[in-house]
Formats: sequence, structure tokens, C-alpha cells
Amino acid sequence: MRHTLILVLMACAAASGAQAGTWDGVYTDAQAERGGVQFQQHCGRCHGANLAGTFETPPLVGRFKPYWSGATMDVLFDYVATAMPLDHPGSLSRAANADILAFILKANGFPAGAKELSASSEDLKNIRFDAVRPPPEPAPNSKRKKGARPQ
Amino acid sequence: MDRRYLLKNSLALGGLVGLGGCATPPQAPAAKAVSNIPIEDRVPHLAPIRAHTDRLFDIKVCIRPFRTKGPRLDVEQIGDAMVVHNYGHGGSGWSLSWGSANMAVQKAMSASPKQIAVIGCGIIGLTSALTAQRAGAQVTIYTRELLPRTRSVRANGSWTPDSRISLASEAPANFGATWEEMARMSWKTLRSYLGLPGNPVTFTDHYRLSDVSFGQPTPRDPAIPPLPPPSWTGLPEKSSDFGEYAERIADLTPKPQILTDDNNPFPVKYASRSTQMFFNFTEYGHLLMNDFYAAGGKIVMRDFHSPGELADLPEKMIINCPGFAARDWWKDKAMVPVRGQTGWLIPQPEVNYAMTYRNVQILSKSDGIMVIALEDGDMKGYNNSDESIRRAESERAVRVIEELFSRFPTNPA
Repeated sequence: MRHTLILVLMACAAASGAQAGTWDGVYTDAQAERGGVQFQQHCGRCHGANLAGTFETPPLVGRFKPYWSGATMDVLFDYVATAMPLDHPGSLSRAANADILAFILKANGFPAGAKELSASSEDLKNIRFDAVRPPPEPAPNSKRKKGARPQ
Repeated sequence: MDRRYLLKNSLALGGLVGLGGCATPPQAPAAKAVSNIPIEDRVPHLAPIRAHTDRLFDIKVCIRPFRTKGPRLDVEQIGDAMVVHNYGHGGSGWSLSWGSANMAVQKAMSASPKQIAVIGCGIIGLTSALTAQRAGAQVTIYTRELLPRTRSVRANGSWTPDSRISLASEAPANFGATWEEMARMSWKTLRSYLGLPGNPVTFTDHYRLSDVSFGQPTPRDPAIPPLPPPSWTGLPEKSSDFGEYAERIADLTPKPQILTDDNNPFPVKYASRSTQMFFNFTEYGHLLMNDFYAAGGKIVMRDFHSPGELADLPEKMIINCPGFAARDWWKDKAMVPVRGQTGWLIPQPEVNYAMTYRNVQILSKSDGIMVIALEDGDMKGYNNSDESIRRAESERAVRVIEELFSRFPTNPA
């Protein structure tokens, strides 16, 4: 019984498990640069070259972060890939959309890393969009006693 | 066309005063014509419109949230939350909002919730929220935009309750009856907003002017680019493929009057007059928002990305009013974007009428004189989600009205 419970919990963790976040360097600078070119070509007309939006068009910086915080990147990718560009939705390739997302992440101050942002929904499902940098995980050997006050 | 004759009579009747003040009223025969027109039906003084392209101070583009099957009004369970849908009102949202809200709130209140969440703060969301408050619920609106920045405020904002509200072939068989109930409930509710300071809801005379007799199609300006070939298969192929239900409520509004030559102040051959209700966005919007806050309403700014997120809200009764966003958020394949553009001339409070001429509609509102190009009827903008501004379209429409007013002798062409 106890083993079954552990297995179920492990399966749930694997299914839901966002193992990385947007602060973990989930795109590369080169990818963001490519994405910037695509962005200006397909998105900038409405969202503005500086991503600030207009009175009618939503910005892709600023409130963009809290609005998407908590979602996983596959959801954001799916939205961009199916709803955008507004006048020709779904017309960009998956690779182009991944590059554009990398550009948007960079514009929002998320750090670049060594690995490109994937265009695979399976991979993107494991990246959580965190508006605020999460606090560092406590080291394995720094476990506090239950009820102990932090120093 | 005998322009001088028409002018003579309009001036004798006190027609376009702004123009008449500078013209020499021609001679006697007009008096005879006047005697045949009941005093209450004479065209009152009308101020001319300063229709010049450099007075276009704003252009707005919206996407009408058209749903081929008519508005979505069903109830759905998401996790432990009940979701009452209220979206997809096409070009009829402002008109049908109160009636549609009433239907949604009736469904929601049948479960006796103390708290209700409303998703979206366009005209459908806001009227749903107010109706839920009036039914006794505490309401929180979750929205990514407040009313002034929603697509609702980029609409025409007139009483047009069956403007692109369904495809006749796709709507449920009983939709006509549902629509009528909505329209009548809205009409009654809107009565309580008439006569308030700033005229949030008001009536105006609408003059329809034509160079060809009524019943004949208005010729299309060949300078206007033709509609692109359909990017969809099947219907609609023409304007009459859209659901038309106005006859059901024909008793609510007066019949149009044909203006005889001796009562037509405009330099065109054919004219009629009808009466139209419309909404002044600024005053009406402020009033609704203030009413919502005054009743203890709360607003939370947030975006939703998948229906499952609704289950995380503290409220377990949710009225869903996302407008066009439903296409992507709920993957609603019945949603079709219908582009619409309005140009805005600087307000002229002295202009208190609407007109349609050569496929251009003008409506004088408190926040500007709205100018819309109407060629191609309901097919215009169908399946087009391009929200970028086409200034040339609005300028062309302004020039049609500019040319009309230039025909008067005080401002010769």
C-alpha cells in the first residue's frame, strides 16, 4: 500500500513536474537575436518595436510577466502559435515561434543560457514561467527541524 | 437633380441653419410646400458637419466576436466550478448585453451562489456583473483589460441587435425566440439609462440619403479595393446568409419616414428619416463602472490561458464573457473574427443627427463624430482579424461627406 502511494506520487510529480523555470537560462542569446528579427517582421507592427504595445494592443513587457506567471511554457507557446500573428494566426513555423519567445523572454529580463528554447510542447511543459525569481532551493543538508525559526 | 430647388425648400423650412445663414433664401413657392407637411414632421434645424480629413483625430479597429451558431449561453462544469458562458454576440453586444446578462445570471443564481466571478470587462462582462450584483451576489470581475481598452469600445455603439449575430443556417432552431427575449429585456433595461446627465444612452434622427431610389442598391465606389476572395468554404456568401431577426421587434421603433422634396434639406434626390438609439461610450462606460464599484464590486487584473485555470478561482460560479478571446482560449471553432473600423471626427455638440450616404455612415456622439464605411454590407471584414488601422478607408469615407456638404452654395464645390 505504502509503495503504491509512493509510485502514484512519483507519477504525479513526473506528469506535472515543471523542472525548470524561466530564470534558469532556458534560451540562448543567439536564439533571441534570431527571434528579434522575426518579431520585428511579424509582431512589431502591433506590439511595437519595444514590445510596449499600444492603447489597444497588449504589451509584451511589464504586466506581461504577472499575466503569464505560473503557466508552463507550452501554454504560452501554444497561444502564440495558434492565435498570432493576429491577422494570420498560426502562420509561423514552430521554430520561428520558439525564437520569438526567446526574444520576448530576453526582453523581460530573463537570463540566457546554453541551451535553446525547444519548440516541442513536451519539453516546454517542463519549463514554468515565473514572473519573480524563485528563492534558491535549500541545500540538502540544511534541513531545519520542524517548527524551527529561520535564522 | 435640382439642387437650388431642394436648398430653397430646406432653407424655407429652416433646414440646415449653419448653411442657410449665409445663403439668400430663394423666393416664394416654398411656402406652398410647407403647408402640406405636418409641423411635427418637418426636419428641424441641422448643423453642418465639418467633415475634413485633418479633423479625423482617432481611428479604432475592432474584431466583432461573431459566432456562427449565435452567442454561446450554455453551462459547463470545470473542476468544481460551474461556468455559465456569455460570449459571441457579433455586432450586437451593446444592444443585447442586458438581455443576455439576464439569461446568464438566471442560470448562475439558480445555484444560490453568494459570490460570482465574471470573466471579462467588455460590455457583456460589465452588464453581467451588474446584473449579478442586482440579483444579490458579491461579484469580482477578472479581466486583462478594463472597459475603455476592450474591443467593446472600438465598436459602433448603436442599437443594432441583429447585426452579425448568427449565420441563419447555423443558429439553433429556437434562436429567434431567444434573441427576441434578449432584445426586449435589453430595451427595457436601457430605458433606465435615458435622460441622465451626459446622455449615456440616447436617441437621434438618422437620415438615409441616396442618389438612387430606395430599394435600389447603392453603387459601390470603384476606387474602393474589392473584397478579397473568401478564405473560408461554404457560407456566408452574401449578407442575407446572416441571421435576421429585427422583424420580431419591429413594434419597438418608429417606421422610417420618406422625406418629400419639400421637406428634404439635403442636396440629394432621395432621403428618409428613422430614429436610432445609441450609446455614448464615455458617459455610459463611466456610469456602469461606477455602479459596479458602488455596489461593492471588485476587479482583479489577470489573464487566463486555459479553461482549467477557472477551477482555481475562489468563486465556484463563473460567468464567462471573454468576447473574441474565446476562439483561442476555449478553442471555440464557431468563433469568426469580423473586422470593423470607425473613424472619429472632432466632436461637434451642435450636430445631433446621424446619416448614411453612399455607403458611409455618420453618427454624432459626445466623444466624436463617428464615420464608418459600409460597402459590402455584412460581408465586409468577415474572417478578417487584422486590427491594424487603414487610414485611407476612413479618409475616403470622410471625403464622401465633405463632398456632400460642399454642394451647398455657401461652400461651392
